[in-house]
Amino acid sequence: MQKLGEFKLPHFFNYPPYFTLQPVRDTREKQIQLWKELILDYCRTQKLFVIELEKDFPLFTNPTIERSLTHEAKDAFLSALVSDGRAEWMDKSHRKCLILWHRIQDWAELVLRYVRENGLEDSVMTVEEIRLGTESRGTELHGMDRTILMRALKLLEHKGKLAIFKGTSTDDEGVKFSLQ
Amino acid sequence: MRRRPGIGGLQTAAAARDQYRLLGENVAKLRTDLMKEQLSTFRSQLEDFARKHKNDIRKNPAFRSQFHEMCAKVGVDPLASNKGFWAELLGIGDFYYELGVQIVDICLATRAHNGGLIKLEELCKILCQRRKGAREAVSEDDCLRAISKLKVLGSGFEVISVGKRKLVRSVPTELNKDHNEILEMAQAQGFVTVEEVERRLSWSSGRAIDALETLLDEGLAMIDDGHRDGRRRYWFPCVSSISSYVGAETI
Repeated sequence: MQKLGEFKLPHFFNYPPYFTLQPVRDTREKQIQLWKELILDYCRTQKLFVIELEKDFPLFTNPTIERSLTHEAKDAFLSALVSDGRAEWMDKSHRKCLILWHRIQDWAELVLRYVRENGLEDSVMTVEEIRLGTESRGTELHGMDRTILMRALKLLEHKGKLAIFKGTSTDDEGVKFSLQ
Repeated sequence: MRRRPGIGGLQTAAAARDQYRLLGENVAKLRTDLMKEQLSTFRSQLEDFARKHKNDIRKNPAFRSQFHEMCAKVGVDPLASNKGFWAELLGIGDFYYELGVQIVDICLATRAHNGGLIKLEELCKILCQRRKGAREAVSEDDCLRAISKLKVLGSGFEVISVGKRKLVRSVPTELNKDHNEILEMAQAQGFVTVEEVERRLSWSSGRAIDALETLLDEGLAMIDDGHRDGRRRYWFPCVSSISSYVGAETI
């Protein structure tokens, strides 16, 4: 089986027609389904959050069979993820796409678990501390995308689990948890 | 002096006829009895054989296929009914019904990829993978038998021959001669181009495109525009192993 680094590629990745957007509806739906799963899987294992359509992305080219996805095909697969709620376009011209291998509410759950496991139920942290601090090392939160983290935090703020405030001394935003 | 016909003569003739008839009946009865005896001997021998080789029949696909052949020659169908001696003795009916169900399952699971047409080899391979836990090995012959039993459901399961290969069809698509020829051609590389079809089969381009479009609509073909030479390739997942790999993962 072909591999991309440590990532095991599925068999369809070596079958040339999967790189051409299929004209027949049933066939295309199955094709899109397989690509959606592959993209989410790959981003999850590689901790990738953003796909830029105009830049090289290892998943969209298979040198072994000399096939690459056309722009149209990439757009179709990512748009399908968007309509599933597993991705979001970051601009109107569909150049950058945010991949949500965890949905926002799942990321929020992970934040809550992290807070409870570290006894931070009513402490104050900066957003960068959550993303890059020593406590989050080894958890899925470590190194996560800031945009996604902010969205998860805003969701929790909405639920009354925390308050986000602008820091006075730094540019970074602060978070006051109130879980008790 | 000439004897005139009399009642005595008639009676004698009738009696003789009766005698002949009785004798004939006796002979016929003897023969039938003998026949019946032979048949029952044969049947009990076949049963003895089956009992003696029960394990071989269940476990060894080659042996099983030979046993089936022998039964067919003497007009016994161990699969004819799930009830009765054969099923009880060998559990052979259940075995094939089980295979049948699994075959239907596999055909459905891979249909999105291969359009409902799958190589017998591939089907058998996936079947073996799925049955890894089961003791009995499964041969292509067993698949064919199980599929032939599926026919009574009228669900359109059928085995078709394309070139040297056997394909199992699980959709009621009617493949005509043109389609078959294209599939046969595709077995070499897994794909064909319009130009190749025209050249090798000496068809007009309309005929080639028409046949390929139908195969595309039926979900049996996929297009590939990614090759350097810019020629559109029509791939046929049903003749390349990749199709069932894709399907097998989702089962």
